[in-house]
Amino acid sequence: MHSTSTRIPGPGEKAVSASVVVVVAGVLVGMFLQQARFSPAVQVAGALAAAAPASVGRQDLLSPWPAGSAPMGASEAFSAATLSDKIDGKAELYLSAGFVRLDCQRIRMGADPDSWIEMFVFDMGTPSNAFSVWSSQKRPDASDAGLADYSYRAENELCLVHGKFYVEMVGADARPSTLQGAEGLARAFVDRTAVTEHANMGSEQALFPKENQIPGSVALVSSDVFGSDRLKSVFLGRYKEGADEVTLFMARRNAPANALREAADLRTFLVQDCGGKEVAPKGFQSPGIADAGRTHAPSAGALTIVDMGGGFDAVFVSGPYLAGVHQAASQAVAERWADILRRRIEGGPR
Amino acid sequence: MNAENPEALTPRREFLRRGLQAAAAVAATGGLAAWLWNRHPPGDFSRQAVFDPRRDFSPRVGGPRMSIATGHDRSRMLDGALKALGGIGRFIAPGDRVMIKVNAAFATPAALAATTHPELAAALVRLCRAAGASSVLVTDNPINDPASCFELTGIGQAVRQAGGDLFLPSTGAFRRGSLPGGKLIRNWPVLNEPFTGITKLIGVTPVKNHQRAGASMTLKNWYGLLGGRRNQFHQDIDGIIVELAMLIRPTFVVLDGTQSMMTNGPTGGSLADLKDTHTLIVSTDPVAADAYGSTLLDKTFRDLPYLVRAAELGLGTADFESLHPIRVEAAPS
Repeated sequence: MHSTSTRIPGPGEKAVSASVVVVVAGVLVGMFLQQARFSPAVQVAGALAAAAPASVGRQDLLSPWPAGSAPMGASEAFSAATLSDKIDGKAELYLSAGFVRLDCQRIRMGADPDSWIEMFVFDMGTPSNAFSVWSSQKRPDASDAGLADYSYRAENELCLVHGKFYVEMVGADARPSTLQGAEGLARAFVDRTAVTEHANMGSEQALFPKENQIPGSVALVSSDVFGSDRLKSVFLGRYKEGADEVTLFMARRNAPANALREAADLRTFLVQDCGGKEVAPKGFQSPGIADAGRTHAPSAGALTIVDMGGGFDAVFVSGPYLAGVHQAASQAVAERWADILRRRIEGGPR
Repeated sequence: MNAENPEALTPRREFLRRGLQAAAAVAATGGLAAWLWNRHPPGDFSRQAVFDPRRDFSPRVGGPRMSIATGHDRSRMLDGALKALGGIGRFIAPGDRVMIKVNAAFATPAALAATTHPELAAALVRLCRAAGASSVLVTDNPINDPASCFELTGIGQAVRQAGGDLFLPSTGAFRRGSLPGGKLIRNWPVLNEPFTGITKLIGVTPVKNHQRAGASMTLKNWYGLLGGRRNQFHQDIDGIIVELAMLIRPTFVVLDGTQSMMTNGPTGGSLADLKDTHTLIVSTDPVAADAYGSTLLDKTFRDLPYLVRAAELGLGTADFESLHPIRVEAAPS
């Protein structure tokens, strides 16, 4: 019996079929190209939102207000999608560190209309995220405010970490009365806001050598460490080295294998993306030191030195710790600080 | 015929049946797609005709193009810098209707230098009025609520007292525009209404660090002419600043480096972020002004990719020394 399924298509049918396939493929390619192209215009759905007021917060940030303070208006609330409506290009700093929500409100201090404070309460999700944004913005001449988990004063500003919250009090001026008002607001916030976990970075901070450390310089950087989008959550500490500065870095990972993998990523970044030139270590006193001329794939205990053409970086792994030196003035300086840091880590807590 | 060879006709009938089914499926799919396709994206701008939003107010007459004043008093530095370029009368003629684009992005006090200093805004208004301007309109589309921004920065009161008018943008002030040659400003709401009848445009803004762009100066200041969800342009911050340089050719710009925000920009927050740099730049070339401004932030124009690209596109020169800037020292107050 004749069957349609066994009939061989003629040349014309084949040509038509091929044409249809080509057209469909062309449509698919066109759709892909169109979708891949960044076109903000298609997102005009929220076109009017920028002109609209920010969302009103749930309630006053403090209730009742401490004596002498009163709100100038309702609180405002911002999500990750709207944070830049409040702080523009600075939003990236918070978003990359795990930002959840911002509540803020302006508060008048006393009867003087020019004396006011804007209070920003950032919910950063975790205490370490809050510490990260606090430490990475800490002003050089800041003084310890003795509040909450971590805090500092810097002229007209008071900043603190309370559990998962990073709080900024920005005064309209630096008068003592304004700063005292900010401190009162901060104490009230800490007293009235329960947190399940406090920020305590003491174990990591303790591993950094104290000698020549620039006070208050230990910071937790959440992302894009040294410009590498693969390097995240790394502690940095700055040190005086003669007339120069040098930066030590350290990050504890879940397992030594993860630290090794990230060390390899960092080496690749420094050499391939930044144009650095790997050189053989000269005097690092550690087992497993890489020999001159060897390909220096990171291994436990080995030191990778990269000449960045204006400074030297060093990378090593000790147990679960990825660590090293950034922007040392010479190879000798990089190796010496790497050795100091390695000894601290190997003698410190696990 | 069918009776003679019915089997031979079966494939033809099958072909026709399947062909009709396929055609129906294609028609249904196409119809559904046409029904779902939103030819007009949401928003009041969507049904307007798209316009060319470029504005060219650049001066037509020759003369020095850049001056750099040093001192402490913003008004005196502005006065000195403008006199070095031939005086305000070189730029503003009697009867001109002037728009001043300030940076009022944040509802923060003037002391934090995150916004145009009210004294400088007021000084510009007074100079334009003295030159015979029939109106001086001061505007910005701030990041925060416009009314709060103009009042808490002090710009609002200062401008009113100096004889200027404020324009606080509302939704209707914007119009959808597409920048010819632009990749980002396409079908995008651009501030339009206050430009009606305007004959001269001045930009005035402080020197600031910017976490995303590296620096916020006169070119970034035009960002305040954009409406909509413009924060998505942060995905390509250099690209949007270059397009803003293509969008606007001002009469001149004033870059205030009396204090420069060295870190934590563009909002700052602490007086500790500021450094006294005692400089004010006036230029008809915003690229040159920003290139000089970058030095106040301990950078060079090469650290700011948008300046490099703007210069490559011929939107100005990053080699500000080639303009032979006139350096003046403002007398202390």
